[in-house]
Amino acid sequence: MNPAIDIPLKEPSISVAAGDADQIERALIDASTRVPVLMFYASAIVWLLIGTILAGFVSFKLHSPDWLSNVSFLTWGRLRPVHMNVMVYGWASMAGMGTAIWMMARLCRTTLRHPLLLVAGAWFWNIGVLLGLGGILAGDSTGYQWLEFPPYAAIVLFVAYSLIISWAVLMFRFRRGDQIYITQWYLLGAFLWFPWLYAAAQLMLFVIPVQGVLQAAVGWWYGNNLLFLWFGAIGLGTAYYMIPKVIGRPVYSYHLATIGFWTYALFSSWTGMQRLVDGPFPAWMITASIAATILTIIPVATVGLNHHMTMQGYFPVMRYSPTLRFTVFGAMSYTVFSALGVLISLRSVARYVNFTQASVAYSHMGLYAFFTMVIFGSMYYIVPRLVGREWRYATLIKLHFWASAYGIGLMTLMLLVGGYVQGESMDNASLPFIESTQSVLPYLRGRTLSALLLTASHFIFAFHFGLMLFGLGRTASVPTFLNPIESEASEAHL
Amino acid sequence: MKGLVPLFIGLFGTFAFSWVGLTLIPNSQIGHLDPQSDEEGTDIYPMPRSGMVERGERIYIGNGCVYCHSQQLRPDYVASDIDRERDAAPSPRPKWGERRSAPRDYVFARPALLGKMRMGPDLANIGKAAPAEEESPAPAASPTAASPAPGGSSSPPAAKPAASASRSPAPANSPAATSTPSPSAGPAKPNPSPAAAAAPGAANASPPPAPESETKTGEPRPYSVAWHHRHLYSPRSINIDSNMPAYRFLYEKRLIDGERSADALQLTGSDAPPEGWEVIPTYDAQCLVAYLMSLDQSHPLKEVKSAGPAASPAASPAAGKTAK
Repeated sequence: MNPAIDIPLKEPSISVAAGDADQIERALIDASTRVPVLMFYASAIVWLLIGTILAGFVSFKLHSPDWLSNVSFLTWGRLRPVHMNVMVYGWASMAGMGTAIWMMARLCRTTLRHPLLLVAGAWFWNIGVLLGLGGILAGDSTGYQWLEFPPYAAIVLFVAYSLIISWAVLMFRFRRGDQIYITQWYLLGAFLWFPWLYAAAQLMLFVIPVQGVLQAAVGWWYGNNLLFLWFGAIGLGTAYYMIPKVIGRPVYSYHLATIGFWTYALFSSWTGMQRLVDGPFPAWMITASIAATILTIIPVATVGLNHHMTMQGYFPVMRYSPTLRFTVFGAMSYTVFSALGVLISLRSVARYVNFTQASVAYSHMGLYAFFTMVIFGSMYYIVPRLVGREWRYATLIKLHFWASAYGIGLMTLMLLVGGYVQGESMDNASLPFIESTQSVLPYLRGRTLSALLLTASHFIFAFHFGLMLFGLGRTASVPTFLNPIESEASEAHL
Repeated sequence: MKGLVPLFIGLFGTFAFSWVGLTLIPNSQIGHLDPQSDEEGTDIYPMPRSGMVERGERIYIGNGCVYCHSQQLRPDYVASDIDRERDAAPSPRPKWGERRSAPRDYVFARPALLGKMRMGPDLANIGKAAPAEEESPAPAASPTAASPAPGGSSSPPAAKPAASASRSPAPANSPAATSTPSPSAGPAKPNPSPAAAAAPGAANASPPPAPESETKTGEPRPYSVAWHHRHLYSPRSINIDSNMPAYRFLYEKRLIDGERSADALQLTGSDAPPEGWEVIPTYDAQCLVAYLMSLDQSHPLKEVKSAGPAASPAASPAAGKTAK
């Protein structure tokens, strides 16, 4: 397992004939992104730990409602949105932006100008999330899923985002090479779509609110597009970068990638209303979203095929590279996540799983099994290049991977089966309603078990990351900056 | 891919397409609905919320009730929402609703709390479930919220008991059915757990082991204001299997000053405050219950077919009509 130094991607912007000059250039780029990216990562991991503990609380309280219920800010209905928002805006967005910044700098072959702008952006973002959480805990939530942050926090987030987006403009201004690599399409898309989406939702819900049920429609339009066009785009872009990079061979088909990207942008942006199936809406809205969800099979199949053909013959590398293992797990989960999305959007299935825990399983599959796992993979790749040390304990990485994989697997299984059982009892009007909540309780207890696994996994990862951050990583024999191969060589010991 | 321009046009175009298609066009279609009224301009439905009800809605949102309770009923040809009866009630048990929800029901809702999860029952018509004698005080407390149901709406409620009796083989509306699990529920599903086997609690509103005669008199009528307060304060005193958290932070325990307050909660067993103390709802709790009592979609709408004994074939055109 020893990928060549010059990774023969089709893009000249990656590497044509890497020599010393190229390596020095990469080292310079990495050095310029070190502070902001580490800042994003460190904040994200702190949020991840907070969110994980909250997740345990939320999961436990759902089947043991009397636990800690007498304090207003610890009531389940407040902790749950806090958990979701910590994970969405604190962990996933910040980690995703960290990875995106680093990949963008590498792909534009330009050093990051004005890194302090990004650091300021990260600070503002943290403050925005903190404000929002305080607002929710104080009972000031807006009541729209994933948009619970009160408007004052939303404004801070938006300011932070404007600071962060400015780097993209700057980087493109100074980029080298004509070609725009696949990852850059996804990242550009994500960074263009997100502010539009966020601003449109804020505008239509709080500034000039639309009438009645349309608020719910806008809310779900936002939620689903956030999942697909923000997290999904960053996650897929990362997978397109990491998989070829680690195994050292170009993406299988550029054409497939083009088809996959544009169908993704077109179809996935039309999903969302299927979550409101049979609700008080014009039927065409929901049907259009169901159709769009079914059509996402096209991008999923093309992207999946492309990744698979790229990996063909290189699957054993997953044995060695933590980056690849996490990334491929995430990419495969993306396929499963999308297939599940199609399944639960069908009206005949939605009859049973709508209003049940199955939709929680769906969200976790997208945000965790797909996105978070891909981002973990990218962190295992990027962090050593930023701190100049290698990950210290291979055992911890393996523990992290297996605890995460089994944790999320158990969780989605419990919630899907439990959701179906719950929905089936709910559909049977001759049973008392309480029967449906009773029937799902054993599965919710099982889900709490998975929360323990995930908590362990995240604390292990945070500890390992802390070691790296404080310079306690393994000193490599060759400086990492000058030899990107170094981490892969060390991974061979895994 | 070469060049930023086509890329940006594509990124811009795809998203603009979705934005226009899924939010702006629906907004032009159902974004400007007016409340419905009859020819004389009276009998207006729905009415804007105000006062305590509005504040109660904030409490409802702030404490995340929406994460477990939906406020929408699906049509009868895709789900059994409309057939469903509420768990705790005397006969005849109130149903979840008489008809599916329609966009016009939410004209003044801000936000529209449709909900995505039912770890608890649907609340779209919870105010309607209140005992009859409380229905008239409710509009008085919040004049804009509950709708009077004269004329047209009196026929569906009248048809309801007959409909439910004809549909279910169990005598669901006979007094005997409330104290034991209904015969149809028992054999329909073998009870998987002892907790579920104790399900008479679902139908029986008074599980505490206090002497029968005393609790019967002290027990609030299901879905009345007093019942809601007690349910919020101690859900498991109403139904032992409930997994709703208690909202005791919305209530105040204080020394009885002279005479016992009129709105003090009737509590028994371990929930009861010590001698000389009483538990009273805070203003927030009163607002929350006022909001719950105001939730009522029973008013008929022209565009939606109300369920009565209606058969399902007649219901499908109603779906198309709901669109406008």
